[in-house]
Amino acid sequence: MSEKQSVRSDPNGGKWGDFLSRAGSTFAALGRTIKNAFVKLFSNGQACAGFCIIIFFILLAIFGPMIFPYDVTTNFSMRFLPPSWEHPFGTDEMGRDIFRQLISGTSNVLQIAFYTGLITVAVGTLLGIISGYIGGIVDKVIQGLANIVLTIPSFPVFLMLAALFTIESPIELALALSAWSWAGLCRSVRAQVMSFRERDFIQICAVMRMSKFHIIVKELFPNIISYVLINFIVAVRNAITGSVGIMMLGLAAYDPTNWGSMLERARNIGLVNPKVIPLLLAPLLAIMVFQIGTVLLSNGMDEIMNPRLRVN
Amino acid sequence: MVENQIVQPHENIVEIEHAVIDYPLRRYTIRAVTDVSLSLKRGAITALVGESGSGKTTLASSLLRCISEPGILSGGEVRFYPAEGAPVEVLKLSPREIDRFRWEKVSMVFQAAQSALNPVYTVRAQFEETVREHGMKWSRERIEQKMREVFDYVKLDYDRVARCYPHELSGGMKQRVMIAFSLLLDPELIILDEPTTALDVITQDYIFSILKRINREKGISMLLMTHDIGIVAKFADYVGVLYAGRLMEFGSVFDVFRERRHPYTKGLIRATPSLIGDLEALKPIGGSPPDLRNLPQGCVFSPRCPYCTDACREREPDTAVQGGRCIKCIHGFEEYE
Amino acid sequence: MNERPNGTKSAFAAAASAVGRWFAAAAQWVGRFFVRYWFFIKKILIAIVTLACSTIIIFFILRLIPGDVVREYALSIAQRRGISYDAAYEIAVNLLNYDPEAPIFTQFFKYVGGLFQGNLGASMYVDGVTANSLIAQRLPWTLLITSVALIISFLLGTAIGAFMARKRRGVANVLLNGYIVTSGSIPDYLLGLLLVLLFAYTLPIFPAQGNYDISVCTPGFNLPFIGSVLYHACLPILAYVLSQTGSWALMMRGSAIGVLGEDYINAARARGIGNMTINRKYLKRNAMLPLVTSFAVTFAALFGGSTLMESIFNYPGIGLELAQRIGQKDYFVVQGIMFFSSFMVIAINLITDCIYSLIDPRIRETNK
Repeated sequence: MSEKQSVRSDPNGGKWGDFLSRAGSTFAALGRTIKNAFVKLFSNGQACAGFCIIIFFILLAIFGPMIFPYDVTTNFSMRFLPPSWEHPFGTDEMGRDIFRQLISGTSNVLQIAFYTGLITVAVGTLLGIISGYIGGIVDKVIQGLANIVLTIPSFPVFLMLAALFTIESPIELALALSAWSWAGLCRSVRAQVMSFRERDFIQICAVMRMSKFHIIVKELFPNIISYVLINFIVAVRNAITGSVGIMMLGLAAYDPTNWGSMLERARNIGLVNPKVIPLLLAPLLAIMVFQIGTVLLSNGMDEIMNPRLRVN
Repeated sequence: MVENQIVQPHENIVEIEHAVIDYPLRRYTIRAVTDVSLSLKRGAITALVGESGSGKTTLASSLLRCISEPGILSGGEVRFYPAEGAPVEVLKLSPREIDRFRWEKVSMVFQAAQSALNPVYTVRAQFEETVREHGMKWSRERIEQKMREVFDYVKLDYDRVARCYPHELSGGMKQRVMIAFSLLLDPELIILDEPTTALDVITQDYIFSILKRINREKGISMLLMTHDIGIVAKFADYVGVLYAGRLMEFGSVFDVFRERRHPYTKGLIRATPSLIGDLEALKPIGGSPPDLRNLPQGCVFSPRCPYCTDACREREPDTAVQGGRCIKCIHGFEEYE
Repeated sequence: MNERPNGTKSAFAAAASAVGRWFAAAAQWVGRFFVRYWFFIKKILIAIVTLACSTIIIFFILRLIPGDVVREYALSIAQRRGISYDAAYEIAVNLLNYDPEAPIFTQFFKYVGGLFQGNLGASMYVDGVTANSLIAQRLPWTLLITSVALIISFLLGTAIGAFMARKRRGVANVLLNGYIVTSGSIPDYLLGLLLVLLFAYTLPIFPAQGNYDISVCTPGFNLPFIGSVLYHACLPILAYVLSQTGSWALMMRGSAIGVLGEDYINAARARGIGNMTINRKYLKRNAMLPLVTSFAVTFAALFGGSTLMESIFNYPGIGLELAQRIGQKDYFVVQGIMFFSSFMVIAINLITDCIYSLIDPRIRETNK
């Protein structure tokens, strides 16, 4: 409707004008959608809190290292200092500030999680939609594959992949992590698509002989986008659990300030030593807070979409 | 002296007085039933007619005190007169007593009979469970005998149906199972909440013939909720018309259909097609069903009423009573056009 | 005279018809068996196909292992046993079930043949240690921890979830909601780490590592041993239970809220069924059904996650073994253990499917 109006309002604009006005109205529509999404998001307390926590961590990852630069030089006279104003979380076994380590590791942890979430969701959603909408033999093959992936426990596969390939960057670790985590999402997206396929508005599109591509992109995808977004957050959460675990076992330890690597160092020194507690608790706390953020955000979004789950 | 005296059971089986039922929601409260008084005659079939959302189901569930969450009965009285013994104030029963009261005195056939049975147990298991939950020490044989009896009433084959799971039965069969179920503990009143909505016309007719027989042979009183005027005319003895949670008109079916008083009742009857009537003469009621969140001032029917006066829009009319018949309209029993 | 051939003929005919009848009966019986149990047979067939496919996948992961590893192993065998390289290579290939120099199909058939003989792969570093022996030694410990934790958390979580669905207001609900969010946000192994720090080092109540104390008991069926095993299993089980219960409760809450909206709940209430019975036989029974399907998935996750958990507690289960072997790059044992664990997950999937169809009468019909 709005597209037509804007086209009509600019009758002499020629091809470019036409294109621009179309693009403008599309952007405006997109902007409205995003604005509506945010209004909904902030109407839910849980989602709002989770969103704020995650934004805080993202800002920390970007600007933190500029404000609190991390000094790698070792200083053995300052080993295992207890928390103080100068060192809020104390110092580690080589006299380096734990708080600044934590901040410098944030960006790495978040990058791994973001890439993993992105790849997982992209692969899972794509395969899920194809499998659910096209059906037939394609569906059988994809679901068979997903089934197999689900039966081989994922964490050992992460470890195996991490050990087989030398991993030196977040994107490589993300590839290893998402190689085995798309299957669950693929299955549930397929279920969603199958249920939508039976609905009238999709059936009508098929009757009107719209192309499959058009139906998928324009009709189906907007309906499952919020579901996919929630799963992106869940994938991020799982990626953090997985990557920190791999790092904690000492595999793929390319960044010593990653929270998982900090945990590994603490465990190697030995938990018997009470001085090691700050080095252990600091990354643990950071992981916990970030994960609480993701849980709140995904639960909140779930509540926004399914009002029946609401506590009251 | 008292022992020899034959106490005649009260002529009414249930009296509802000034019932008010609210659904408190997050931001506002919806009043589903407003100040309804109603008495059901013993042994008779009373029908309540109304559009969807007029409060039929809610009013019916208040008799069993099982209004669905979060609805509450915020005012009024419900009195039940058993065939023997003192009248029962349904709203004052303890939780334990109400559990016994339900199904032993008053049972119900649900609107959604299709899903009113627990899907993971067989029909027999659910019948047996109900008997046991009512603290009756019946043997298995006794339960089976009783089940055969009630299954016979609804013309179901006990040997085939009893061991089935609900999903193995057809819609009509499930409905008949539910009717049989309602007879299980020999209640005095059965509430029929749109018992045939999901069924085809032939099955509908069949079910009503069964119900009529039960009413005649067992003398069980019935309260029927429906929006089908045709069924009311054929099946019921008394009829009440509900609109927006208010009882607009009540009386015997004969009176109400012969002397149509309330404009809403008139509209309802005029909007009902009949086989021999002229289809062109059908007149739907203008306007749209009431929004309970936002009711009009004065009489709730006034925006749709062809005989509406200024007085109607100002205040809600009182209920005029005349010989067992009542009308909630400003015109009362007068003639008007 | 005349009758004899006739008699033999009739006897023959009788025998033939008897055999025929017998065959017919047998065929009928087999047919009925297939019709009645077709659901289960189909499930078993699907499980077998899945297992075959996962074997192929694991085989391809195996092929990612650089071939030099086998040659180095052959060299080390040659040196240790003083035999020629070719003979040593032959031995190595047989032990590892993998020949990087053969064509791919030969490789695959060799691998599958080895699996059929029960040879899951040998260790490259310790003579005589195979995946089979490791599984036999370590698996019981992992199974002990994971299955006990799974059962406790399932029972506890479903009870909490049903409670939360029934009483959606009040302090208890807020607290439980908080618990669900926190437990869902801490990875289980970090929870384990916290528990070790708290209850083993700061307050030495529980042991920090191991599966039993060799100094107080001898392995066998005796009370001190069992006591010691349970004592050592406490913390890992607690860690699993604390982190798993929340997610079960969350699932159960969602499912139970759905069931509470069903008509049969209200109908049962109108029938005078007591609250206890409604809660048990109507709400819980129906709300639990969809959760049973996630049993197998959760088990797979626990099984895979045991790698981390057992490293934290230094608990000698299959997960710790796996982590150590991966660290040592002892790949052939690792793939053997992985094959076995996927076999187990498939088996458990099959079992839960069958149980599900037994407890939900609707499934048997729709899946036929």
